[in-house]
Amino acid sequence: MTNAFWRRFLVPGALWLAFFFAVPLGIAIAISLGQAAEFGGVIYGFHPENYADALDPLFAPILVRSVGYAAATALLCLVIGYPVAYTIARFGGPYKNALIAAILLPFLINYLVRTYAWVALLADEGLLSSVAGEPLGILNTPVAVVGGLVYGYLGFMILPIYASLERMDRALIEAGKDLYGSPRQTFRHVTWPQTLPGVLAGSLLVFLPAVGDFVSAQLLGGPDTYMVGNLIQQQFYGADNWPFGAALTVVLMAFLMVFVAFFLRGGRAAERREALA
Amino acid sequence: MNGPDELRPAASPRATRGGYDRPRFLWAVTASVYLFLYAPIAVVILFSFNGIKSLQVLDGFSLQWYETFWNDEELRESLIASIQIAAITTVVATVIGTALALGTVRSGGRTGSWLGILLLIPLVTPEIVAGVSAFVLFAQLGVHLSLTTIILAHITFSISYVVVVVRGRLASLGTDREEAALDLGATPWQAVRLVTLPALWPAILAAAMIVFALSFDDFVLSFFTTGETPQPLPVRIYSALRFGISPTINAVGTVMMLVSALFIALAIALPRLLGRRESGLAVLTGSSR
Repeated sequence: MTNAFWRRFLVPGALWLAFFFAVPLGIAIAISLGQAAEFGGVIYGFHPENYADALDPLFAPILVRSVGYAAATALLCLVIGYPVAYTIARFGGPYKNALIAAILLPFLINYLVRTYAWVALLADEGLLSSVAGEPLGILNTPVAVVGGLVYGYLGFMILPIYASLERMDRALIEAGKDLYGSPRQTFRHVTWPQTLPGVLAGSLLVFLPAVGDFVSAQLLGGPDTYMVGNLIQQQFYGADNWPFGAALTVVLMAFLMVFVAFFLRGGRAAERREALA
Repeated sequence: MNGPDELRPAASPRATRGGYDRPRFLWAVTASVYLFLYAPIAVVILFSFNGIKSLQVLDGFSLQWYETFWNDEELRESLIASIQIAAITTVVATVIGTALALGTVRSGGRTGSWLGILLLIPLVTPEIVAGVSAFVLFAQLGVHLSLTTIILAHITFSISYVVVVVRGRLASLGTDREEAALDLGATPWQAVRLVTLPALWPAILAAAMIVFALSFDDFVLSFFTTGETPQPLPVRIYSALRFGISPTINAVGTVMMLVSALFIALAIALPRLLGRRESGLAVLTGSSR
């Protein structure tokens, strides 16, 4: 069958995504350069000061905090998720599929409901406080927000690491042992490099949604733990400053795209180094 | 035969003492992660059946919070709205996404491969960016926000999931059978309809179930594209949460979990029920090659 025949299949989807994905991003960029109209809405123009506002000392800490929380989340997910993926892949035996499905199931449950579940547990009038006999006072702290993010995105770390462990040729571990590598050495020189692509993919899949998250900070945090997502949401609901909200959105998107580019390039370089070593 | 034993070193047990081969330590970590994942969910479910209006003490069993949910007209409308949104999104996104998968995999040349990469962008776009762009699009077009706008936004961000799942399956099929069909006198359309699509069914169905679950669960996109009434269930829960937690929300949450779990189970089981000898999990994770 000819390429021309198959190319027809691309038309509806390409048009759809152009109109509902690319065009809106363009509109968001145009709005980010406009001026806020009263009661929401926008007067188009060229006002780059919206971007200056985003980096204003008043708001810059929120951007930095979002990146910091997301990085902490990715790191925690890696530290918690790797052993889990490793245990299931290597020692799960015939129960592997069931075990990994049991890991994934909670992540397919509504994120809002799951975050709410933590509110019910951690709130001062919640279950853990009554077990402890005193109010926990843990809500509205960074611990609660980052904890909520880890709970929200841990599955995105475990699945790619598990997949890369599964793809790995296990004979390599045997070979490492036959060559008198200690388990630690075998892990460091054989398993870890082989699973690096999974670790990188997982870190990205956790970091990206975590930076823009606003549910965790909204429900588990307070004004001191607001993230950029909360700030953006406020501009469209309440503050009625669409251009500023759009500028923040564009900054977030641009930061993430640059981040992805560098991250992937760094990952490839690391893989090459490992391959040479 | 594929048990963990073959992976253990043949050396003395001493060699396994330090380092990363200590399943006991690893199992302990893994078990605590399962606890961490399931404890909050279990609490929501348990307290949804609570006999009294408390979030701290369990006393007796009752379905009163489900009754309150069902008798609350707004909540019931929201549930129905969520199901409608998810159903329409699933049908449209699955058709468009499957076509895109066919196009990107089978049409050679640059267009297909470039589009294949571009299609991943919606997957890594933060939800809030997606929500804001959908919001400004409808605002600029002067479209009144309603269920329709939610559905349009959901379809946009579901297409890529379908493409990824179906593409994995399609790439592993090869073109032999399609070519055989053509040699036997089929038209290209007949080859697609009678040969390619039937072989793709497990992946298409799995993708459809995933899209349904994602759409049914979606909060951020819905939040930015919803009108006044009826609002989808997650948005309704969000508004309710601002007034504090309540037992009724536990019941709503439990129902939502059930629906999600049902569709994910279908995503995993359907390919197998269709007589293929692989699980949907393998189809979804692309490890079925």
